[in-house]
Amino acid sequence: MAEEIVRAEGLKKTFTLSRKQQKIEKTGETRRVAVDGLSFSAYRGEIYGLLGPNGAGKTTTLRMLSTLIRPDAGDAFICGHSVVKDPAKVRDEIGFMTSELKLEGFFTPDYLFDFFGAMHGVEKGVLAQRKRELFSKFGIDKFAEVQVKNLSTGMLQKVSLVIAIVHDPSVVIFDEPTNGLDVLTAKVVTDFLSELKAMGKSILLSTHIFSLVEKLCDRVGVIIDGRMAAEGTLDEISKGDLETSFFDLYHSIKGETV
Amino acid sequence: MKLLALMKKEFHRFFHDPRLIITMLLPGIVIFLLYTVMGEAIHTEPQSYDYKVYLQGEAPSVTSVLEMAVEKSGNTVTWVPLEDMEAARKEVEEGEATAILTFTENFDLFPENSAVSVVYDPMDEAGSSFYALAVGLLQQIGMRFSILSEPLVSENGIGREIMQQILPFIVVCFVFSACMSVTLESVAGKKERGTLSTILVTSAKRSHIALGKIIPLACISMLGALSSFLGIVLSMPKLMGLSIGMLGGYSFGMYVLLFLLIFSFVPLIVALISTVSTAARSVKEASAYTSVLMIFVMVISLVTAFLPAIGNWVIAIPVLNAVVFMQELLAGGLPVWQALVSVGCNLLYTAVLVIVMAKMLSSEKIMFGK
Repeated sequence: MAEEIVRAEGLKKTFTLSRKQQKIEKTGETRRVAVDGLSFSAYRGEIYGLLGPNGAGKTTTLRMLSTLIRPDAGDAFICGHSVVKDPAKVRDEIGFMTSELKLEGFFTPDYLFDFFGAMHGVEKGVLAQRKRELFSKFGIDKFAEVQVKNLSTGMLQKVSLVIAIVHDPSVVIFDEPTNGLDVLTAKVVTDFLSELKAMGKSILLSTHIFSLVEKLCDRVGVIIDGRMAAEGTLDEISKGDLETSFFDLYHSIKGETV
Repeated sequence: MKLLALMKKEFHRFFHDPRLIITMLLPGIVIFLLYTVMGEAIHTEPQSYDYKVYLQGEAPSVTSVLEMAVEKSGNTVTWVPLEDMEAARKEVEEGEATAILTFTENFDLFPENSAVSVVYDPMDEAGSSFYALAVGLLQQIGMRFSILSEPLVSENGIGREIMQQILPFIVVCFVFSACMSVTLESVAGKKERGTLSTILVTSAKRSHIALGKIIPLACISMLGALSSFLGIVLSMPKLMGLSIGMLGGYSFGMYVLLFLLIFSFVPLIVALISTVSTAARSVKEASAYTSVLMIFVMVISLVTAFLPAIGNWVIAIPVLNAVVFMQELLAGGLPVWQALVSVGCNLLYTAVLVIVMAKMLSSEKIMFGK
């Protein structure tokens, strides 16, 4: 049986709605449950996708797993470390990629790779070796001394990816990996994820794009309104067509057609 | 190692950007040039002095040459034989006499074993110009006699009083501006652009991230503070129509304590602005909060000049302690233990702010709240 590397147990997260949000959403409620008792597991060497519409709680779940925010209830374990009790150890086991996290435009990929390597406590010799390999593999070596602000979107994305895995993490967490990217850059990212999988990494990604799940994911968890609506392999979930299956599921839960 | 990497990154960012270095050092240079030009414009009339110099001992060879030099420079000199040293010194202090020249016995016969002393008021323009002329000439004569300078420091000199009241205020304002210019961008700017969050995903301790900002930013701000301080101090006498020589009237210990106070004040201000910037959602918001802080600090710095007496409790009040003891130092006092305890208090408050900032960095509401 595959080794369980990520385990979420009853994760719950509630946010306070500001008056402005209440006005926009025309609601009187002051609290909003973003994630409601979410549990799932991901195994070593697989790509696990969290699929759901906008506002379903995917990003909040990934943020809890990456220790940026704390769950109100429940816990999650990454390589056996609790995100609540041992967030520093969790951070050393994960590489987190999201459009919200940016690189400083003033620095070069070379400098940032070394800097984030030091932040994760990677030994200098190992870091230099890893830089050579990854920069060469993704064609960054020619741009190593170019300031990040002067890189193309595709190259910037590659640099961000490489820096996210500078410390050779066991788990790579990726929030909406192809959002806002052109087709070429999106291909760079999807190829990169396949490469990581081939390297034996566990990948957890969130998306609302069916084709991405079909192309990459080994298993998928469908989140609707912060709850796990369905979980399993693509075959188990989709029974042929993922999109149709998703909307059937959505209709059965929400009682509304899209 | 992680703290070191964080600090190195901040230094790298600053020292590899010539524009940042220039903007940090420019205020001091601009202040110096501006105040000097203003001083020149205000005090434009060509000065012609009638020096009244008390003479003790005889050295006709020197006094005759000196007289010629004085006349050549467009001034006149009246030699007055010294009768009462105390009364003469008082006259020099009050600006009624220019200087007291004392020659040792048989000065003209054995200049090699002789000495001449010059008593003058460095804050008095006539006194300092005579001193410069006399010492320059005595050195040119080239004989190996000793020249002893005795700058008098008048207790109630107007220059000193102005320096005492205004200098701490201006120094505090410029130090605050120097800290603000680097800290806002480095903390609030990075938070707004999401580059600070990228570091939060690493296993670096939040206290290290806070220190990794505050220590280098304080060092960089100190450069700016030093530049502004030198610009102010070197140009202030010119602006007030006083001699630069008045700066020599202060003791070495005074300067050491003054720098210690400023250098303990800088990390405190940097930590304060960093904490406010961490709490703010954008640079704009941080600038607004910091402007309020700056007004508060300016008011505190000004108010102290009008308070007749402040007790030792002031030691525990940040900003106020630095201003009050700077004023005391410039007034000629040497409040050593009070200044040192103030420095300690400022560093303690800085440490508390580092802890507060680290807590803020751990707070999802502050870091990721919309």
